[in-house]
Amino acid sequence: MYVYRIMLFLVFGGYLLSPLLMSGWSSPDTAWYRPFAIWGILIALSIWLEQKRKLDER
Amino acid sequence: MSASLSGVFLLGASYLALLFACALAVERGWIPLRLVRHPAVYTLALGVYASAWAVYGSLELASQVGYGYLAYYLGVAGAFLLAPVLLLPIQRMTRTYQLSSLADLFAFRFRSRWVGTLVTLVSSLAVLPLLALQVQTMGDAIHLMTGSTSPGLLALAFCALIALFTTLFGARHTRLHARHDTLLATIALDSLIKLAAMLALGAIALFGIFDGPTDLQTWLGGPGLARQAAVAQLDPGQWRTLLLLFFAAAFLMPHMFHMTFAETLSRRALLQAGWSLPLFLLLMALPVPLILWGAQRLGADEAGLGSAYLVFGLSNAWWVDALAFIAGLAAATGTLIIISLALSGMILNHLVLVAHPPAHQPDLYRWLRWLRRALIAAVIFSGWLFYRTVGIHHDLATLGLASFVGMAQCLPGMLAVLYWPGANRKGMVAGLLVGVAIWLLGLWLPLLTGIPTLIFLPPGLEALQGEPVWYIVALEALAANILTFIVVSLATRTSEGERAAAEACSVDAVIRPKRLPLMASSGEDFKRHLSDALGEDVATREVDRALSALHMSPLDGRPYALRRLRDRIQANLSGLMGPSVAQDIVDRFLPYRHDGQAATDDIHFVESRLEAYRSRLTGLARELDGLRRYHRRTLTQLPVGLCAFGDDDELLMWNDALAELSGIDGASVIGSRRNSLPAPWAELLGRALANPNSHLYKQPVELSKGQRYLTLHKAILNEGEEERGGTVILVEDHSEMKWLEDELVHAARLASIGQLAAGVAHEIGNPITGISSLAQNLRYDTDDPALLETANQIQQLTDRVSRIVGSLVGFAHGGRHVHGTSFTDVTLHHVTEEALHLIHLARSGQDVVYRNLCPPDLLVKGDAQRLIQVLVNLLSNARDASPAGGEVVIAAEPEGLGASLTVTDEGQGIDARIRDHLFEPFTTTKAPGEGTGLGLPLVYSIIAEHHGQIHIESPPSGREHGTRIHLWLPTTREDDEDRDEPDSDR
Repeated sequence: MYVYRIMLFLVFGGYLLSPLLMSGWSSPDTAWYRPFAIWGILIALSIWLEQKRKLDER
Repeated sequence: MSASLSGVFLLGASYLALLFACALAVERGWIPLRLVRHPAVYTLALGVYASAWAVYGSLELASQVGYGYLAYYLGVAGAFLLAPVLLLPIQRMTRTYQLSSLADLFAFRFRSRWVGTLVTLVSSLAVLPLLALQVQTMGDAIHLMTGSTSPGLLALAFCALIALFTTLFGARHTRLHARHDTLLATIALDSLIKLAAMLALGAIALFGIFDGPTDLQTWLGGPGLARQAAVAQLDPGQWRTLLLLFFAAAFLMPHMFHMTFAETLSRRALLQAGWSLPLFLLLMALPVPLILWGAQRLGADEAGLGSAYLVFGLSNAWWVDALAFIAGLAAATGTLIIISLALSGMILNHLVLVAHPPAHQPDLYRWLRWLRRALIAAVIFSGWLFYRTVGIHHDLATLGLASFVGMAQCLPGMLAVLYWPGANRKGMVAGLLVGVAIWLLGLWLPLLTGIPTLIFLPPGLEALQGEPVWYIVALEALAANILTFIVVSLATRTSEGERAAAEACSVDAVIRPKRLPLMASSGEDFKRHLSDALGEDVATREVDRALSALHMSPLDGRPYALRRLRDRIQANLSGLMGPSVAQDIVDRFLPYRHDGQAATDDIHFVESRLEAYRSRLTGLARELDGLRRYHRRTLTQLPVGLCAFGDDDELLMWNDALAELSGIDGASVIGSRRNSLPAPWAELLGRALANPNSHLYKQPVELSKGQRYLTLHKAILNEGEEERGGTVILVEDHSEMKWLEDELVHAARLASIGQLAAGVAHEIGNPITGISSLAQNLRYDTDDPALLETANQIQQLTDRVSRIVGSLVGFAHGGRHVHGTSFTDVTLHHVTEEALHLIHLARSGQDVVYRNLCPPDLLVKGDAQRLIQVLVNLLSNARDASPAGGEVVIAAEPEGLGASLTVTDEGQGIDARIRDHLFEPFTTTKAPGEGTGLGLPLVYSIIAEHHGQIHIESPPSGREHGTRIHLWLPTTREDDEDRDEPDSDR
């Protein structure tokens, strides 16, 4: 159950800070796929937490 | 404008035919159930969220606000990433109480049918623009592809096909909560097709229009730079508001609620969707900017296609247009199917059934099914109608945002359901009404009528002037909603029922149902009561279904079991007709009996729920639960029987030791009334409860193990302010102790006889010796034959008295340590031979045959002389019992740590009535004057002195008559050191 707190923190932190990130995405120096890469990393983290939760509950 | 109207119809109809085929394949079992119920299918079905907005609306938004379009995907992805803390608790509630919609959940939590009705009305109004958006994209796409001026008719035809599909495959089950494998698989296929189409369109843009990612990056930094710079960026407030709206849509939108909770596979599937749905949405979102940039590079954005439909400008090839059309049609189809299904259920439960209760319907299930089908068709048709009358005047973003802002008004209520048990219905209704009023005036009515927004900025919010209307309305409506909700909830009283429901829904709480008896006394009684409301057939089916789910017998009359049955029936009816109607029915027809006693918590049920919730507890709650489990285990595994009763005589605990003693499993009796317990427990425990004393000692009871003596100790638990009252009873099996006490009394009796015998022997011995001497002298003093005969008789009689006295003295000393007694290795064969020799000296019984079968080398530890005494006694008894020519067999063999010896005769045997008393003094089977009744008690004493055992078998096994005496003597002596201790009595 404790692992969910990490996700809670990340999602709400991301919610508050997302406008800062978004302003960077529109810059021509930024790779067009950057938002999707960040999103992908978040999904990978979520998969890792899910595996950890399965181990905790085993 | 390269396609004909009939061609597009054929394309759309073919796609819908594919969905029909898929549904049919699943229904007929052509696709393995393992595949249909795979968590990936559930994730794809959740992809229904990606409606026509995700295909066309996102393009429109991306062209207006750049990466701001991502809010549509990221909001929902955020909600699913928080599935364990946000969605799982809702899933638990909806599954436990068979709640299939947001209105069901709110009506259940706030204990008001009007709340359900209000939420249904709000949902219907809010969803209409979204429904219209789906149909509008179909119409617009048809128009773009064919140039037809009346695409609405073709869109209506598609709507009719979709309605047909939904009524055929979606409304088959009467229960909303029943999982539709067919529907789930079809929506999953639908999502797969739209994903594949979008990825294909993205690939066409990236590799067909650009030369791959590098070329795209170069274009973005060069020719495309000006276009990207012209795109307005969302300000942080708008971005956050959009994220919040789409976050709320993940569990508030009727189709998302339905798919996430009503069609849920399992907890595991939902947890997996926590990452797999965001992955699906990432793949859906990725092609959107590629398509936009591709169309911009080709200049399609200047061709008057409309920013939402730039995808049709990617290529002149017909199949690219077809791909774009199928992507949009698939997205719209899935959304229309699930929204119509979910909304029809809400309208049925919270508008139709509330206004027109289903009592006395001849075929309730059929009536509900057809009503639902009609509502599905009505919902889809209303979507088309809204598109034709309102939608065509607005762009997709306006329609979509009006819908999402409306549904977001239920967000404060949902958060309160999960995290604020103090919220009440007055607060919720007041907040929702205020929020919805602002939304209606600010967005919905202007959408409908075309008039400007009727919302004014309150003082202090002037900074919002000039911001988009949706943004101002969303902020104002939500802020006013939340504020009103909190203030009214705090200022008004919360009813008892609401508080109980709040605890049931709250994330941190465990349900604490009350322990009240029901009017109905068995499952059969339930059917009779319910048939007044549902008709006999439906009542029987519903009760049987609940009984079967609970593995209960229809005759089970335990109050605990009946309460669970009532709960289950309420949950099942809730799935059938919604929680409001279900609650009305069970409250009216399955009422509780109020005997004037205050209802207490159903602790057994609370404990069983706690066991189920254990993995969800954290921190202090988990520690406390660990402590509870420890104490529970202590009581359950206490080696003494324990049971507990509530104030109303309901059995609350029956521990393992009591289950073993009584042979009654706890699960079968917990929750029963005391007087319905099996015999003899009802009467015995009733006596203990009624007894003014705390203890009942050694109560004889007949159990399956035979007669037992039970001691009961009672403690009364006084009811406190926050503590439950009741009685705890400890049941101890004192049968062993009772037998030991009996043995002790017996031993004391024997000891007193021994003392008496010793005293008598001492007093009689001396005069008898004197009489014997005088008789001896008389024989020398006379030659008179008569006197000599008299003297002889006197001497014989005194000899007999001496023998009796000698036996008495021997018995008195038997079983005690005699000073100087020495235990040595004794050969049983030798001892037997010695005893036989002595027996042969006797004059009687010469015709009896003795066979000594003892092995010559079998040794025991003992006193040879006393063992000879034992054998002489046994052999003389055997001789006296044997008929003329009879045989007495003495046999021995090693046994365990000793040797067993048997003496078997062929006599008549021993009467069973006196067999058990043979080792008691003065018990004899011989004629009066023949035996003293002290021989066998003496044998018993000597054998006990040797730590041996003796018992009698009469007749011996395999024979019809005779007697066999079994002796067992140890081959070693454990207490050698004791043998020189002086006899304290001497």
